[in-house]
Amino acid sequence: MTRKHVITKEGQQYLEQGMPENKLVNILGPETPVKEAKALAEKNGINFGVALQWMKQNNWVEMEKGVLFVRKKPKQDKLKDALQALDKGKAVDATILTILLRRKLVEEIKDDHSSKAKQILEQGKELTNIDPSLIKTGLWKNATLKPYNVTATGKRIYPGKKHPYRAFLEDTKLKLVEMGFQEMTGPNIEMEFWNFDALYQAQNHPSRDWTETYRMFYPKIGNVVNEKMEKIIDNVAKTHENGGKSGSTGWKYKWERAQAMQLMPRAHDTAISPRYLSEISGEIEIPGKYFSLVRCYRPDVIDATHGVEFNQFGGIIVDKNLSFRDLLGLLKDAVMEISDAEDVKFYPDYYPFTEPSVQISAKHPELGWVELAGAGIFREEVTKPLGIDETVLAWGFGIDRLAMFKLGITDIRDLFSRDLALLRNSKVI
Amino acid sequence: MPTLEISLKDLEKLAGKGFNTTEELEEALMFAKAELDQGAIEEGDDLKLDSKDTNRPDLWSTEGVAREVAGRLSGQKGCPNYEVSKGDLVVNVDGGSQIKKVRPFTVCAVVKGLDITNEVILQMIQLQEKIAVTFGRNRKEVAIGVYDYNKIKSPITYKTFKPTELKFKPLGDDETSYEEMTLADIIEKHPKGKEFKHLLEGESEYPIFIDADNQVLSMPPIINSDYTGKVTSETKDVFIECSGFELRFLIPALNTIVAALADRGGKVESVITNYPDKYGEVNAEINMNPKETSVSLKKMKKLIGIDIADNEIIELLEQARYNVQQDGDELNLQYPCYRQDIMHWRDVFEDVMISYGYNKIEPKMKKMATKGSLIEKNVFVDKLSEVLAGMGMQEVLSYNLTNKEDLFEKMRLPVPDKEVAEIENVVSKNWSVFRSWLLPSVMEFLSKNKHNEYPQEVFEIGDVIVIDEKSETKTRDVRKLAIALTNSVVNYEQIASQLNALLSSIGVEYKLDVIDYVSFINGRVASINLKDGEKYVTAGIMGEIHPQVLNNWQIETPVLALELDLDVLFKLISK
Repeated sequence: MTRKHVITKEGQQYLEQGMPENKLVNILGPETPVKEAKALAEKNGINFGVALQWMKQNNWVEMEKGVLFVRKKPKQDKLKDALQALDKGKAVDATILTILLRRKLVEEIKDDHSSKAKQILEQGKELTNIDPSLIKTGLWKNATLKPYNVTATGKRIYPGKKHPYRAFLEDTKLKLVEMGFQEMTGPNIEMEFWNFDALYQAQNHPSRDWTETYRMFYPKIGNVVNEKMEKIIDNVAKTHENGGKSGSTGWKYKWERAQAMQLMPRAHDTAISPRYLSEISGEIEIPGKYFSLVRCYRPDVIDATHGVEFNQFGGIIVDKNLSFRDLLGLLKDAVMEISDAEDVKFYPDYYPFTEPSVQISAKHPELGWVELAGAGIFREEVTKPLGIDETVLAWGFGIDRLAMFKLGITDIRDLFSRDLALLRNSKVI
Repeated sequence: MPTLEISLKDLEKLAGKGFNTTEELEEALMFAKAELDQGAIEEGDDLKLDSKDTNRPDLWSTEGVAREVAGRLSGQKGCPNYEVSKGDLVVNVDGGSQIKKVRPFTVCAVVKGLDITNEVILQMIQLQEKIAVTFGRNRKEVAIGVYDYNKIKSPITYKTFKPTELKFKPLGDDETSYEEMTLADIIEKHPKGKEFKHLLEGESEYPIFIDADNQVLSMPPIINSDYTGKVTSETKDVFIECSGFELRFLIPALNTIVAALADRGGKVESVITNYPDKYGEVNAEINMNPKETSVSLKKMKKLIGIDIADNEIIELLEQARYNVQQDGDELNLQYPCYRQDIMHWRDVFEDVMISYGYNKIEPKMKKMATKGSLIEKNVFVDKLSEVLAGMGMQEVLSYNLTNKEDLFEKMRLPVPDKEVAEIENVVSKNWSVFRSWLLPSVMEFLSKNKHNEYPQEVFEIGDVIVIDEKSETKTRDVRKLAIALTNSVVNYEQIASQLNALLSSIGVEYKLDVIDYVSFINGRVASINLKDGEKYVTAGIMGEIHPQVLNNWQIETPVLALELDLDVLFKLISK
């Protein structure tokens, strides 16, 4: 490692004006009272403190009873000469350099490029790198900088990134928040009660086959956690059997509690809504808008369009006097907001837990008409047993389809891609 | 959802309405909750429809679609009238056999005077099939037989026979015909026997319809006989039965099929069905009278959200095939016998809306002053993922479902009995249990990326499911973070610094303690303990993965990894 010395601001001043001790000693008479010496120094722009310290140190003066006696006047200003030499890049005596360093007139910069750069400069060659010493000392002024190959594209590096699919989901959630929706959540492993029964899907009835579902091997049966839940279960049982207080005929069969207590991987996000509406988990405010975006499970054979796991995005709106027109309005607003659709069209549809039910197709600028969402007004067989007298609009989005389009993916398995290169190359949308 | 193949001409004839454009056809199909899946007006007669209502078997045939279209577009308003005359065919359910246990109920009807064209046969078979598969739970709840009435000698007996005591010639298909076979042989050798034998599993006797001449009609829910159970274009009169376990499935199924044939001009006759005393009272005779309900006009109008006059609502109901009688605010309604889905006034309301047309209503959501928000834990977790990405790591995302080999064996852990949530009806062993920890997910990810550029630094944030006997679902979702770093050479300092950076960025103090954990190299693994007031809570593990684990995953570079419980972390932050 080579050393490079740089003159400090103070050093630069002395380099130009001379050292203060030299300047002062040269204008002092043989005997001068300190007060007069100080006035003389100030008159000449000399730092008296510094000058006095070093005149004494160099034994140029002696002080007795407030009077300075000059003993010696230096012929040369050695330090100033040294500073000038350094400024020109010349070597200086080591003893003097030590003094300059101690007096902080010069700083030492450790830099292994500098001497090389300096050499190159001296030899009049082109320079590749400019370094701190060249910048600080101004030596760069003498340099010719070699041009870079600025048209070369850089080596690819991979910044850390959020997963593109999860980033998309988070963005979508924020859109819903902007529309005044609060987030809900629920457990991955559900009770059939919440996934089916509380949504008025009859046991041993095709309406329960609305979704093909997994069953749990272990654990198998859930717990009823409190009196309130017991009451809700009782309400739901009566509603299935004879309509209970819902104004319905009910499904007219013997409802089996044991079946409802069975556990299953959540098959659809709608399982969460009755938990909140009954306030068994979570709370609701009326009026209120709620959404959930959660992992769901179905026993599909995995291929380009089916996964055993997928995300579902849905929610509810609770208020007095909501109408079918409000439902259509909500869907149109939400679809337009989330999907860049240009137009929407409604189709009659069927879900066991909503009546009426509607499917929404959206005209996408690039995909054309696509089925995007399903919705409806929760049946009173769903809301009344949960203790809700208000109208509840419910909707669910095929979010994976939208995600695939946004992310430019044609195989649904790539949403959970195992390929690092694909993730590294994904665009930040 | 059921898919229907129909003939456009047949639909137009039954509906009394021709279609000039595909758009016009599609609009009309909405009245029957159907969508055009394949075909178009200009492409010929064959159409494929998706019928979207899994609770409306009456819509799964050309006849059913035509009824809804005709009500709205051809002025065929009000409830269709189906007359049933008394027939003299008798079906005796034999209480002496095991029939009450094996397949207890049958409901029957006769339809006469049919002009059975090929299209009629196709539609009849299709409707039977759709009802048996979707509504009848793949023949378990409803099996349907249609027979040539004129080959049957009354009375018919419905009883069980031992598998080897009876022989008959089962129905074949276009290519194959069969000789007389015993019931046991049919079950074992006939394609339909093989397909449906599970429905009779464990039974020592099988259900049979057999007539007074000892001619077998069928063995439900497997196969009809070739003699009586074959319907051709020669057939004019048919006997129809539906067998199963509950009348609430059987009656709508029978009504639906009979109504479809009646719509084509068939005359319906009842069948005298005698149940033995031990059944108690059974009302199995076909009843095609309209059913009744009532709705409040005021309630309906309020829920629509647009102004519709009373008489317009009545008109819309009539188009949806209701008979309407107004009594002040109350509308007394009659609706067709094939509808088994009307349980609540909302079901009627939907029919009104369908008649009106969903797309004729201008969508407009009323203003609601609500404030949106995310679940705080999710916000926190998302922030963490930003910090982690900022540290140069790529986020990965895995399924929550996995398998015991990945979770335990490959990680050098003993496979536990009851610590992992397991699925019963797995499709693939790969997705048979819920992950109970997160590290195996990122290990699996690394194992798939040996061909990609190194270094590889990844993280995943996700749920793991732990057993919690006291909770409602006996399980609990725990949010976790896993980090894995790999390169040809790694340095423990790297992962330690990552953890330091992460926890410092959220102001959590922690200490690391030496522990033993078989998935990691001994002496290169520590527990992560977060400072909680005066004490520390253990919230994770960090270290260098054991080379045997690397071998198990066929990973060829050393791996540093950590797993951290974000629920514990979040709780701490929220204090």
